[in-house]
Amino acid sequence: MTGERVLVAMSGGVDSSVAAALLVRQGYDVVGATMKLFCHGEDLPDRPCCSLDSVNDARRICEQLGVPHYVLNLESAFGRDVVEDFVSEYARGRTPIPCVRCNTFTKFRDLLKKADAIDAKWIATGHYAQVRDGVLQRGLDPAKDQSYFLWGIDRRVLSRMMLPVGAQTKAETRAIAHELGLELIAEKAESQDICFVPDGDHAKIIARQLGADAPSLSPGAFVSGTGEVLGTHDGFARYTIGQRRGLPGGFREPMFVVEIQPETRTVVIGPRSELLGRGVVAREVNWLVSPLEAGAEVEVQIRHHARAARGVLVRSEADEVEIVFEEPVSAITPGQSLVLYSGSVVLGGGVIETARRVLPILAA
Amino acid sequence: MPDPIYLDHAATTPVRAEVLEAMQPFFGPRFGNPSSVHRWGREARTALDEAHERVARCLGASADEVIFTSCGTEADNMALLGVFRSRRAEGRTAVVTTPIEHKAVLAAAHQAAHEGGEERLLAMRNDGRVDDASFDALVTDEVAVCSVMWVNNEIGVVQDIDALAERARSRGVLFHTDAVQAFGKVVVDARTTKFDLASISGHKIGAPKGIGALYLRRGTPIEPLMFGGSQDRGRRPGTENVAMAVGLATAAELAVAEREHEWATLEKLRDRLEAGLLERIPDAVIHGRGAPRAPHITSVSVPGTDSESLLMALDLRGIACSAGSACQSGSVTPSHVLAAIGVPADLASSAIRMSLGCLSTDACVDRVIDVFPKLIEKARRLATA
Repeated sequence: MTGERVLVAMSGGVDSSVAAALLVRQGYDVVGATMKLFCHGEDLPDRPCCSLDSVNDARRICEQLGVPHYVLNLESAFGRDVVEDFVSEYARGRTPIPCVRCNTFTKFRDLLKKADAIDAKWIATGHYAQVRDGVLQRGLDPAKDQSYFLWGIDRRVLSRMMLPVGAQTKAETRAIAHELGLELIAEKAESQDICFVPDGDHAKIIARQLGADAPSLSPGAFVSGTGEVLGTHDGFARYTIGQRRGLPGGFREPMFVVEIQPETRTVVIGPRSELLGRGVVAREVNWLVSPLEAGAEVEVQIRHHARAARGVLVRSEADEVEIVFEEPVSAITPGQSLVLYSGSVVLGGGVIETARRVLPILAA
Repeated sequence: MPDPIYLDHAATTPVRAEVLEAMQPFFGPRFGNPSSVHRWGREARTALDEAHERVARCLGASADEVIFTSCGTEADNMALLGVFRSRRAEGRTAVVTTPIEHKAVLAAAHQAAHEGGEERLLAMRNDGRVDDASFDALVTDEVAVCSVMWVNNEIGVVQDIDALAERARSRGVLFHTDAVQAFGKVVVDARTTKFDLASISGHKIGAPKGIGALYLRRGTPIEPLMFGGSQDRGRRPGTENVAMAVGLATAAELAVAEREHEWATLEKLRDRLEAGLLERIPDAVIHGRGAPRAPHITSVSVPGTDSESLLMALDLRGIACSAGSACQSGSVTPSHVLAAIGVPADLASSAIRMSLGCLSTDACVDRVIDVFPKLIEKARRLATA
């Protein structure tokens, strides 16, 4: 509705900038906000504070759009809800997705509180996903779809969410940026890294929090599925299920990480066939529709760039769900998200606890 | 929306018309370089010399005791590091300051420590004043310079600079005061107060940003921060900013002339503001209220709210305030000042600084008294929801 206030989370990138610009064009009372989530700067005077350039870009875009811009310090909450979890998940031999928790807790909970404080009815981001009639759906551009990262948000927030670029392709977003004269950010490169791990070296973050001699960064054994020791690795936190890089060589077929056993610091490796799982258990379940009952057929995505697989919900409890796949699925990774879809609709999701290699007796 | 209200005069002030007018010729026909031997140079030199004299008069000083700088921060850096570096050889390697200083002083003291000196921070009393026992314990023979801010920029508390300066000097310690917020509010006069160095800044008193001055008592040893030409006796090389120096001189003269009237006017407005807020928000806490305060700064905390949200909400209602100090990115960081005077973290994180000045009127104050409590009520409703 024209004139209604919307708080737009602005990273300084093209997606959120165009999101803000589109909302301004539609007549909303836009307020831009850039979240300051971490700071490398205080102790390292030679490095700029957090991502200062991004903040400045967001500010300049808002200035160009004629809307106010604020920098919100959500550092301590982000550190607690996202960074600490990220580190402890790796320490448990799992592969976390901090972006999911950032969406769940930082953007669509903490930032929403700031929206409340300024009487903003809406909250908007530059995510490639769509909200229609209170239902979260995949972004229109399959190459960019980010709905996988949004399963954790409080269902009640959907009615206040706007995702203005979700119904267009990235190319269209860039074209709109040019059309609106947002040259500053129109051709800005895609951010690939996790924002607080700018050089892609997540072990560095773990070392900083837990010490370089933490068990997850200490040497351990590569073993085969039958328990044969095949070599030594330099810390299981450097490995993820399905990984090939950094494994011992000299096998007849390509080898992959198939399991991580943190208690013994063991990384189990095996051929492709050992990556296959027939089912999956997920926890921290969150539903974006009325919770589904056991027996429901669903489409299941177990990582961001995976194709959805068909499966059946065989167990649906308050905090845990179990899925059995129609066809085996490769590299089910604890810590990643399990997201349930029906077509383009996001039903809900959870954090993968474990893969089932062998199926339990199917519930009727 | 009604006219916006600027309640952030401690951050900066608009350039006064008189100041702008006084500077104008130096952007035009009187553009000369004061170091040049020709008539353009002489003209500029005259204006610069006069600016030195005029600022000096405002500080109870001689012209040669005033060094123009680019800002208050430069003056503070020069005072701490310049004195520290020049006194190291005599075995005075410590720098004493308070934990409630502006970052310019704190970071300069930190730099002295980085250069092999010792950084000592005075204990503060909960009312915002320096703890005497701590002063006596820390200001010793090893200290090169002691720096205490005259009027605090966040809470407005006024330190007893007369007494502190005397006590420092009796121990052979040079005394600096950051008088950026004090100048124009309290009497900053080198004849009556025995500071050795004092920093002032133009843009807090109606001169432009980009000009400040350091008072340096004759005979005070100091190393320059920069190296270059012989401008200002080599103490501050670089072509002098004549226009801005003239602007500072004009603003300083006006500030001194209007000081008492300004104090009375702002005090009345401040008292009205605080009374109005306290009446409607009985549990609001006004920081530093138990100590003498300059009249232009009010720092108010309301339990159960947060400054960041309040600042946004106020700004969107057209009321400009501030909180704590801002980091590079512009985000609000918890106030080191409030932490240092023992304000609990949750209370400190709700602090809003309102600072009055030339743009403040009764009507502005009344609107703040009307709007602020409403925002507080809403914030608390949300916090408990």
